[in-house]
Amino acid sequence: MTTKRVAVMKELLSFTGIEPDRLRLEWVSAAEGPKFAQAISEFTSRIKTLGPSRLKVAA
Amino acid sequence: MSEKVRAKVKDLLDSGRIKGFLGLRQADGHLGPHLFTDGRELDALAVGDLKRPGDTRYPLNKQLLTLMRCDPDDSFGVLVRGCDERGLKTLITWNQVDPAKVVAVGIACPPELAAACECLKPYPDEFVDGGKVEGSTFASVATVDALDLHSRLTHWLHEFSKCVKCYGCRDICPMCFCKECSLEQEDLIHTGDLPPENPIFHLTRAVHMAGRCIDCGLCNEACPADIPLRTLYKKVAEIIAQEFDYRPGYVEPGEKPPLNILGEAPEH
Ligand code: SF4
Ligand code: SF4
Repeated sequence: MTTKRVAVMKELLSFTGIEPDRLRLEWVSAAEGPKFAQAISEFTSRIKTLGPSRLKVAA
Repeated sequence: MSEKVRAKVKDLLDSGRIKGFLGLRQADGHLGPHLFTDGRELDALAVGDLKRPGDTRYPLNKQLLTLMRCDPDDSFGVLVRGCDERGLKTLITWNQVDPAKVVAVGIACPPELAAACECLKPYPDEFVDGGKVEGSTFASVATVDALDLHSRLTHWLHEFSKCVKCYGCRDICPMCFCKECSLEQEDLIHTGDLPPENPIFHLTRAVHMAGRCIDCGLCNEACPADIPLRTLYKKVAEIIAQEFDYRPGYVEPGEKPPLNILGEAPEH
C-alpha cells in the first residue's frame, strides 16, 4: 500500500516541480542498524546534492 | 435539448419507477437543482443550457447522496452527463449509492463543452439526447509536463498562493463524501491559518482524490481564485491510470481503486 502511495506521490511531486528524490521509502527493521545508517547517509548525501528546496527558500 | 429528457422522466414518474427526479429547473433567470416529483411540472425541467450549451452544471450526485440518506427506501432518477455517470459508478464502488435505487437519465455533451473540459468521454454509456462527441486528451496537463522542474514549481506556487481556503473545491466535489475531511486534520493542515500552507493544502487534496476524482471540473469552476485545479487532478488521474491501469468512473462499478486495496506495486 505504502509503496503504491509513495510511487504516486513521487510523480505528483515531479508534476508540481519538487524533486521526487526528496521523498524516499525504505524498510528497515530494528535489527538492521547498518542498513539504516547506510540508507540515511545515502539519503542525506542525495539531499545535499539537491541543495535547499526552493520551498524552503521561498518561505 | 430537454424534450426527450422530459418524455423519459415523465415515463419514469408516471409509472412509479421513481419517486422523484433530480434535474435542473429554470427560475428567475437562473438554473438550479430541483427534485421533480410530478410529471405535470416538467415544463420547467432544464438540462443546463442557460446561455451556451452545457454552461450550467451542478453536482447533482451530491444532492442525490443527501436525498438517498434521508429516504433510503425510495428510488430516484438523476440527470447525468458523462462525468456525472462516472461519478455515479464511483459512488457505487465506494458503497455510497445503492444501484438498485437510482435511474440515470443520460445526455451527451455538446462539442464546445467537451472540448473545454478536455473530457475523455463526454457522454454516458446510454443517453436519451445529444450526440456522441469524440473525447479529447489532457492538453492542459501536457502543457505543464513540458515545463522544466523549476518552472513547474514556480507555476504551481503562484497558482496555489491565490487560494483563499474557502473549501469551495471540496464542498462542490461530488466525490467528497467523507465524514471527516483530511483538509481539516490538524496533523496535516493548520486549520486556522490563512493562507493555507503552500503547497501542502493542495497536494493533500490531490492525493486524497487519487483513484476517486472523475474529472467533472466543478472544483475548478467553483474556485473563486481560478486555480487550475482540474489540471492537477487530471494529472493525478493520469498517474493512477499509468501505474495501475485504473480510471475511476471508467471501470465497472465495484472495482476497487488501487490505493484502497493491496496488490501489485508499480514496477519502478
Ligand atoms: S474534478 Fe474536482 S469536483 Fe470533480 S470529482 Fe475531481 S476533484 Fe471533485
Ligand atoms: S475553491 Fe479555490 S480558493 Fe477555495 S479552497 Fe479550493 S482552491 Fe482554495
